[in-house]
Amino acid sequence: MKKDTFSRLTLIGVILSASSLLIVLQMLHIQSSTKHQELSQWADEEYSYAIENYTPERGNIYDRWGRLLAGDEDVYELGVMLEYVTNPDTIARTLEGINGLTYDDVYAVVSKEYDAEDSIYAVITDFLPSGVIDVLSEIKQTYEIENPYGKNPDLPSLRGLIWSSHLKRSYPENSLASNILGFYAFRDRQEGLGYYGVEEYYDNLLAGNAMDTFMPRNPYLLESLPEVPAGASLVLTIDREIQAMVEKKLDEAIEKYGAVSGTVIVLNPENGDIYAMATQPRVNLNEYWKYQEQFKESTPFNRAISETYEPGSVFKVLTMSAAFDAGVVDDETTYYDSGRYEYGGGTILNWDRKGHGEQTMQGCMQKSLNVCLAWVATEKLGKDKFYDYMRAFGIGQRTSIDLGGEEIWPMSVPGDSDWYPIQLATNSFGQGIAVTPIQLAAAISAVANDGKMMKPHVLKAIIQDGKQYNTTPQVLGVPIKAETAKTMTEMLVQSLQNETSLALVPGYKIAGKTGTAEIPVQGQYSTDLTNASFVGWGPADDPKFLIYVWLEKPEASPWGSVVAAPLFSDIAKELVVYLDLPPEDALQNLVAKEG
Amino acid sequence: MAKKTKQAYKQAPWRRQLQSAGFSLVLVIAILAVLSIYLIISAQAASAGLEIMDMHYEEEEIMRIIANERTELAWKTSYTEMQKRAEKAGYQVPPAENVHFMVIPGYQGQNPVLLAPPPGSENTLGPVVNEYYQQSLWDWFYGTFLTTSPTAGVEAVK
Repeated sequence: MKKDTFSRLTLIGVILSASSLLIVLQMLHIQSSTKHQELSQWADEEYSYAIENYTPERGNIYDRWGRLLAGDEDVYELGVMLEYVTNPDTIARTLEGINGLTYDDVYAVVSKEYDAEDSIYAVITDFLPSGVIDVLSEIKQTYEIENPYGKNPDLPSLRGLIWSSHLKRSYPENSLASNILGFYAFRDRQEGLGYYGVEEYYDNLLAGNAMDTFMPRNPYLLESLPEVPAGASLVLTIDREIQAMVEKKLDEAIEKYGAVSGTVIVLNPENGDIYAMATQPRVNLNEYWKYQEQFKESTPFNRAISETYEPGSVFKVLTMSAAFDAGVVDDETTYYDSGRYEYGGGTILNWDRKGHGEQTMQGCMQKSLNVCLAWVATEKLGKDKFYDYMRAFGIGQRTSIDLGGEEIWPMSVPGDSDWYPIQLATNSFGQGIAVTPIQLAAAISAVANDGKMMKPHVLKAIIQDGKQYNTTPQVLGVPIKAETAKTMTEMLVQSLQNETSLALVPGYKIAGKTGTAEIPVQGQYSTDLTNASFVGWGPADDPKFLIYVWLEKPEASPWGSVVAAPLFSDIAKELVVYLDLPPEDALQNLVAKEG
Repeated sequence: MAKKTKQAYKQAPWRRQLQSAGFSLVLVIAILAVLSIYLIISAQAASAGLEIMDMHYEEEEIMRIIANERTELAWKTSYTEMQKRAEKAGYQVPPAENVHFMVIPGYQGQNPVLLAPPPGSENTLGPVVNEYYQQSLWDWFYGTFLTTSPTAGVEAVK
């Protein structure tokens, strides 16, 4: 009995041990075989990680007070898992009319043949708002209850229809400040880029780093979960309220004076902050793809930085500043204006084709005498000094404003093949020389800011990794001395007051200059087609704003003093309220109290 | 000479069998216990991992919702909308001649916008978890029995 039991137990033990040994041996064999290595590698590649394309949230754009100008909204992509579609007809009928889809469009997509290799999923449409998805979800659920798994082909079913959410660029202000913001081509989800303005210039910052990430499927590998930071957000120097006000006033003026277009720049000469930059046309950025309907032919997206033109008499501010700074003229200098000035084989005439007799330099500026300024440039400054000063004012060079699409027109200087001596005379009053509005505004801001020319910019701060980095204003150059700037400002204050200009702002001391430039048409200057402009700044003793106004080809009157000056005044009257600037009398009272 | 003692009786076979079975069982139970602990910890780790993965996706979704809500709010407070509201409420833009400058003592004007803390500043937000839940047993003991102040234990944590 004992022996039998032992034998049976021994036998069972041997069998079990042998089996275990065989299993272990087989395991070792599998582990060490080359096939195992291949399989293991394949499994690692296929199942250990999932490659996910991660596009970080595009950074927001705010105005200077934190009001959102560009953000992101949640939208849905609608598609079908072809393998699970049981009733293409129901899907086509349900989606007909959504996003402009027709029955045939949808049917063609959802009735595609399923192919495990090539055709698993098909996109029907994209950028659907959540409201539509809520309705679809409800319908799908109802059908699923009535026809589980879509087994009955005679009953409706939305099986296979799926949706996934993603972010889409959104511009809550529609067309407001569109020329500054530019747009992000959000309809191209793979290759979308920022175009024009801030969206183009700061595209890399806003976009962050889109990347394909390896998402571990093994829950033990969690430490390798990728952290993809969102794009940086930007705070602009733009003030939404001022921008809206300026756009409104500009639109009204363009209509009132029958101008082709117009541009207004409002900036702070002390630091180069741009408060507003308005121009026409503008586009609703939420429908950016329609922009070509409005920006026909070579119409620039933002005239303020991309359109060069002959500025006319506003340019005289630079010529006279250069002459005063070089010490070649002073308050006592006089010039006898006969109404004609012969130079370089050409004849210079005044805007009214008349002579104005003996004039001081202030008289020359107040009456905007071309002849006098041509004399200052040719006889007093000379070509070398004149062009040196113009270079110092940044004429012919980019301001490097932080907006995409800045253009320039190179300044012809002595020695260039396209420079002729008469250009020295015509350039002095802003003809035969081309600038962009931002170039001229930046140059003249030096006169308003004690001779210091600040770099015009729209970026106030960057918000990245949870921190706000404020930008520091940059000095572009110091083309004239502070003393010269003060003299010029005072001269232009007197000029406006003496001529009781339409640009005056009651209660405030404003310095400014009108401009009327004839436009060349087929090689000849036209007296009917003009660029009417005005540049002014205030309060003159401590300028806090500079406004540059340009109306292109106004029909009501060709003169800057008639059409551009009132627009300046209209804007300045409201601007002083937005900027909390006290009028002269209130300021004196304040100073007296503090004193 | 040491006296060699010999057990007079052997243990009963069923007892010996029971003993060896018991030893084997203890061994098996010990192995099973170790394996169970290993399994439980592994399962918990996997569960936590999956939960983190889910939260990762949830975080993405929340970020999208926040972005969406922020934009929604901006649409509702856009210039055009605010203008409409102001008009509906009977507000008008006053003509320039009706605007008077008034000095309000102490008013410094609008403060510059600060949407995030400046660089170099530490996160000023306090801990998310209530400080009472961060007490160790010692903190509680110290605060309750060894000091008179009821919050001393909490203070010690700070």
